[in-house]
Amino acid sequence: MTAAVESVRTLALREIGPAERGTRPEEVVIALSPAFGDPFTKTIVDVPHAEVVRQLLAGIEERGGSARVIKVYRTTDLAAIAHFGAKLSGSGIAVGVLSRGTTVLHQRDLARLSNLELFPQAPLLDAEVFRAIGANAAQYAQGQSPRPVPTRNDQMARPRWQAKAALLHLKEFECIDHARAAVEVEPVITRVD
Amino acid sequence: MTSNVTELTAVDYPLSINRPDLLRTPTGKTLDDLTMAAVVSGDITSEDLRISPDTLALQGQLAAAAGRRQLAENFTRASEMTAIPDDEVLAMYNALRPNASTAAQLSELASRLEDTYSAGTCAALVREAAQVYAARNLLAEDLPVAPLAPEEA
Amino acid sequence: MTAVAPRPTDSGVRTSKRTEILEARPVNLDGFVEEWPEKGLVAMESDFDPQPSVRVEGGRIVELDGRTRDRFDFMDTFIADHAIDVEACEEAVATPSIEIARMLVDPRTSRADVVALGRGLTPAKILDVVKLMNVVEIMMGIQKTRSRRTPANQAHSTSAKDNPIQVAADAAEGAVRGFAELESTLGVVRYAPLVAIGLQVGGQVGRGGTLTQCALEEATELDLGMRGITAYAETISIYGTESVFVDGDDTPWSKAFLASAYASRGIKMRFTSGTGSEVQMGNAEGRSMLYLEIRCILMAKGAGVQGLQNGSISCIGVPGAVPGGIRAVAAENLVASWMDLECASGNDQSFSHSPMRRTSRLLPQMLPGTDFVCSGYSAVPNKDNMFAGSNLETDDYDDWNVIQRDMQVDGGLRHVREDVILQVRNKAARAMQALFAELDLPVITDEEVEAATYANSSDDYPDRDVLADLDGARSVMERGITGLDLVKALERSGFGEVAENYLKVLRQRVSGDLLQTAAVLTGDFVPLAAINDANDYAGPGTGYRLSGERWEELKKLRHVTSAENPEEEVV
Repeated sequence: MTAAVESVRTLALREIGPAERGTRPEEVVIALSPAFGDPFTKTIVDVPHAEVVRQLLAGIEERGGSARVIKVYRTTDLAAIAHFGAKLSGSGIAVGVLSRGTTVLHQRDLARLSNLELFPQAPLLDAEVFRAIGANAAQYAQGQSPRPVPTRNDQMARPRWQAKAALLHLKEFECIDHARAAVEVEPVITRVD
Repeated sequence: MTSNVTELTAVDYPLSINRPDLLRTPTGKTLDDLTMAAVVSGDITSEDLRISPDTLALQGQLAAAAGRRQLAENFTRASEMTAIPDDEVLAMYNALRPNASTAAQLSELASRLEDTYSAGTCAALVREAAQVYAARNLLAEDLPVAPLAPEEA
Repeated sequence: MTAVAPRPTDSGVRTSKRTEILEARPVNLDGFVEEWPEKGLVAMESDFDPQPSVRVEGGRIVELDGRTRDRFDFMDTFIADHAIDVEACEEAVATPSIEIARMLVDPRTSRADVVALGRGLTPAKILDVVKLMNVVEIMMGIQKTRSRRTPANQAHSTSAKDNPIQVAADAAEGAVRGFAELESTLGVVRYAPLVAIGLQVGGQVGRGGTLTQCALEEATELDLGMRGITAYAETISIYGTESVFVDGDDTPWSKAFLASAYASRGIKMRFTSGTGSEVQMGNAEGRSMLYLEIRCILMAKGAGVQGLQNGSISCIGVPGAVPGGIRAVAAENLVASWMDLECASGNDQSFSHSPMRRTSRLLPQMLPGTDFVCSGYSAVPNKDNMFAGSNLETDDYDDWNVIQRDMQVDGGLRHVREDVILQVRNKAARAMQALFAELDLPVITDEEVEAATYANSSDDYPDRDVLADLDGARSVMERGITGLDLVKALERSGFGEVAENYLKVLRQRVSGDLLQTAAVLTGDFVPLAAINDANDYAGPGTGYRLSGERWEELKKLRHVTSAENPEEEVV
């Protein structure tokens, strides 16, 4: 599935300014981890980061929502990234994404280690799931209670992906920059034909 | 503890088969008393299916005889803990988790183990933990001096 | 989907037909990564592990593996103060590692001697010793140092739908096939009381004396144990670095306290650890996986817990992906056994797409024998396995039995005739039906009993009313239902034999016999531990040998041609 898409789009995250609190009551914040987009370009199963962002935005838009994207540099803890995003979000809803693909839907008022929906198995997240996550995020932001995105399970994800996940986690950890505050970014998705 | 018993050795194990004469429930019953008839008639309660501190001491002797010092020490602590109610054992365990208790709370816990339950080895374990937690920054923050006003809480 | 999809091939480049075949082999669906020793992504040979050292002053250890006491983290402190014998350590650590490694392998050195020497060793010294051993030598070491003479096996019995009737039927089948211990866990945690009851009842139907446990959060697991609904506990996790231990919301002292809490209720318990967990959580502190696991093993020993489940367990994908990783996993089982702990030796989580690789990962435990070869073997199809799949599952039962017979090795299981299996499955389901009725729990229909008798997976059962079951589960906890209440209800409802077996298991708490190292119950309720069944391996012709009645039993398979009448099969 990924091979065809891979060569098609690239992602650049153009910095706009410091990440600040939003005011639009229905907005969703997409909070990206330190290595997302740069230096990493795709998830653990080679879904391009451009595709991840594109599908999340499309899912949000098709439910009538709006989105802002921020990038976090000081932690690789997904719960912390998403919760930080939620606190900046006008609606209090955020989607947190690690560069390997692990994703969580978070809400400002929840405890940091709690969440609305968690997608812990990054190898099972494809374009379709990211779109559905975006759609649900928009609905939560509008005060609705959407049906959770169906979780997938795969007994054989461990033998194939566990060690690579550990490696990616260690690499992302090295991208932490304590001196750098979170920024708002404009995702620039370019088609390369 | 049963004073007329010489130190047990491997040949006494399993006690349920080789030395049932030494075994009593905390309520004073023998293994033979724990029959289905007695269960059905309501003569047996959950209290009768517990291990007694004396039995844990016997098992400790067997562990020590097999060269298992730490297992025997565990049975000593366990023997002391038989006196502590289930809920309180759970609460004590939770209090020993990292960043769960202040130095003062751990000190109180140790005193309670010692004074209320005569659990000296358990108390020593808690005091040792308190020392390590202090050194490794694993104590809970002390409560604020002034409690929050009700409207802020 | 994606996880098992073949690797994308780079079109355009021509490959040979042989390469196409090799690319399609299941083993190429497994993940392999390069080592990164600086971050601890390395099995057991790393320049970043400490060198062995120990120094005693005033009756306490003041230096351990190159660190002085003022620089100890809490693992160092606990190991120095509880695990290592202070009187013996300086001499033990001074013994050349090659001498110690040879003692582990040489049958003329007794288990007692090598265990005694081990009491004085530091983590880095133990690592230094096992690094000298190849995998066959490690197996020799396991054969000698495992604590119980008779090997055993443990099963998982779980359900993708948390269906307690399925858990009971599969537990009964598992028990009659020979598992000494049965373990369950949940998809929906609130289902726990009903599933734990199913496991216990099924276990006592299959054969008397199987021990059961339900893996849950620490405090809940202890609660079910105290009530007598489960018989032992295992998922008491420990970790090799301080930071990961704290992330798991425990310390060596809280876990040691918990160990004593279980013993104080007469309940058998072991800890769980394994290579790869620390690097998986990103805090290996630059140490190799095996070095950190050896710290866990010594921490467990220091806590006085009788045993340990190790062999990577849920992180098997990590050592499995690096060079020498499965050798390290065998070595961690060896160290647990050598440190005189009961060892439930892994082989319990989905490990590889390759049947050949699954088997090779199993042999270092199965051939020498361990206290529990699998911890556990999935006694349900892997898709129903709520521990996320096992290295062995129900489909593998016949293969397992054949390997036992081929190698003349006792892996704890046996072939059982279909009529016997159907009978115990049916009886377990009927016992659950009667018990639920007696306790006013949601009805179990005859249709469900029939399904349980003949089922393979959760798909073969009628759906339960989940909300009603969850209410029932809650009421079990709220009403304070105990194991004794279950015994009474089984007796009243006509399942006297099951009730009697259950009562005998509960009665074991009074004697504490199951608290001793590596204790299990035989079908006749005789406790078998590393005291009355101590491993006495001392070279060829000694120790546990598969012979006599048990060997005759293991010669039976589903299909064996009769020598007397080759036109028939042996029944």
